[in-house]
Amino acid sequence: MAATAFDQFVCVCGFGGGIMNGGWRLAEASDIPFVYELVTKVDPRWWRFSRGGLEPSVLLSTAQGISAGVIVVDSVNNPVACAILADAGTMGTGMFEYYALPNPQAEALARRFAPELLAAAFAGAPIRRLYYERFENDAEVFGELSAYFEVEVTYPEFAMIDGRYESRTTSVLTLERFTESQLGAAQ
Amino acid sequence: MITTSRIVFRPVLPADYPRLYEIESDPTTAMTWRYHGNLPPFAEYEPALWKQTQQIMVVEGRTSGQVVGYLQLHDVDPRAGSGWFSLYSGPEHRGTGLVMEGLMAYCEWAFGNWPLRWLYAHSFAQNVTEFEHGMRRGEAVRLGVLRERVVVEGEPTDVHVIGISRENWMASPLRRRFNLLRARQT
Repeated sequence: MAATAFDQFVCVCGFGGGIMNGGWRLAEASDIPFVYELVTKVDPRWWRFSRGGLEPSVLLSTAQGISAGVIVVDSVNNPVACAILADAGTMGTGMFEYYALPNPQAEALARRFAPELLAAAFAGAPIRRLYYERFENDAEVFGELSAYFEVEVTYPEFAMIDGRYESRTTSVLTLERFTESQLGAAQ
Repeated sequence: MITTSRIVFRPVLPADYPRLYEIESDPTTAMTWRYHGNLPPFAEYEPALWKQTQQIMVVEGRTSGQVVGYLQLHDVDPRAGSGWFSLYSGPEHRGTGLVMEGLMAYCEWAFGNWPLRWLYAHSFAQNVTEFEHGMRRGEAVRLGVLRERVVVEGEPTDVHVIGISRENWMASPLRRRFNLLRARQT
C-alpha cells in the first residue's frame, strides 16, 4: 500500500499500544499476504476487496489504490486486523474500513485499538466526517465507540452472504462526536 | 431504444458529446455535478464522461430532435446486483418533465437489460424534489441522507441517497401506464 495519509497518521501518533499487549503499526508492502488472508477469512464482508472475487492481482491492484493502512498486531507481533483510510479528499471526509480475523481474540484487540486508530485518522488528515460501511452481521470492531457512529444510509438486502441477503449501512463519526467520546472516556 | 409521444431514449453517440458538454457546463449546476466545477476541456471530455460508467443513454425531444438530457449507468456491482445512475437535464428543459419521462424509460431499460436488483442515485438537497413524486408513489425510496457530505461553494451540502428496486419498479402502476402509452406509439 502506498503510504500517504496513514504516514501522517502514524507520525502524529507513533506506534500504538505496547507490544507486550499488542499494538499497531503502519502497513507495509510485506503485509499484503496478511491482508489477502484476512479478506479471504471474512469474505465477502470486506466488500472493497471481495466484490470482484478474490483473484490476487485484482486485490493487489485495489490495495495499491488505497492511500493508507495500519496493521493491528497481537502480543507476539502477529497481524490480527487491518484498517484503511480511503477516499480522504478535499471535502473533509474519508472512508474508514476495519476488519479483524474472525476470532474473539483478534476482534477484542481490534476493539481495543479502535479509539487510537480513529484518533490518528482525525489527527492525520483534515477530516470532519469519517464514514464506515458494514453489513448487518459484520463483527463489531469499535466497541463502546460504535454508539458514537450515526447511521445515515441503509441499503436493504444489499448483497448475498451465505445464502441470505444482508443489508449494508453507511454510518458517520463526526470529529465533534469523536472528541465527545474521548472526553467521556477520559472522565 | 424507447420511444414515447414526447421523447426518444437511446444510447449516446459521439456526435452527442458537444451537447452533453454544453449541458454539463451550465454554471448554475456545474458545481454540484460530478466534476464539482472542474469540468475538463472538451478535448479531454470523453474519458472523463465515461469514467466508471457502463452506459450512457440520451433523452431526445421528439418534436425538437434536441438532446434534452441524459442518464448514466455507472459503478455497476454485479455481485450485489446494483448500479448507480446520474440524471442530467439541460437547463432550458428543467421542469418540463421530459427528463423525468426519460427516467421512466431508463428504469424500464436498465431493469430489462441488466441483471440489477437496485438502482441508486445521489441527489443534492436542492435537486431531490425531482424524486419526491416517485418516493410518494413508492417507485423510489430515500435510503438515507449523507449530512454535509460535500462542500458546494463553501457550504456543506447534504446528499440524499435514492433507491429504486427492480421489485418496486416492475410492480408499479406508473410502469404499467408508461408502457401502455408506449404501446400506443407503435
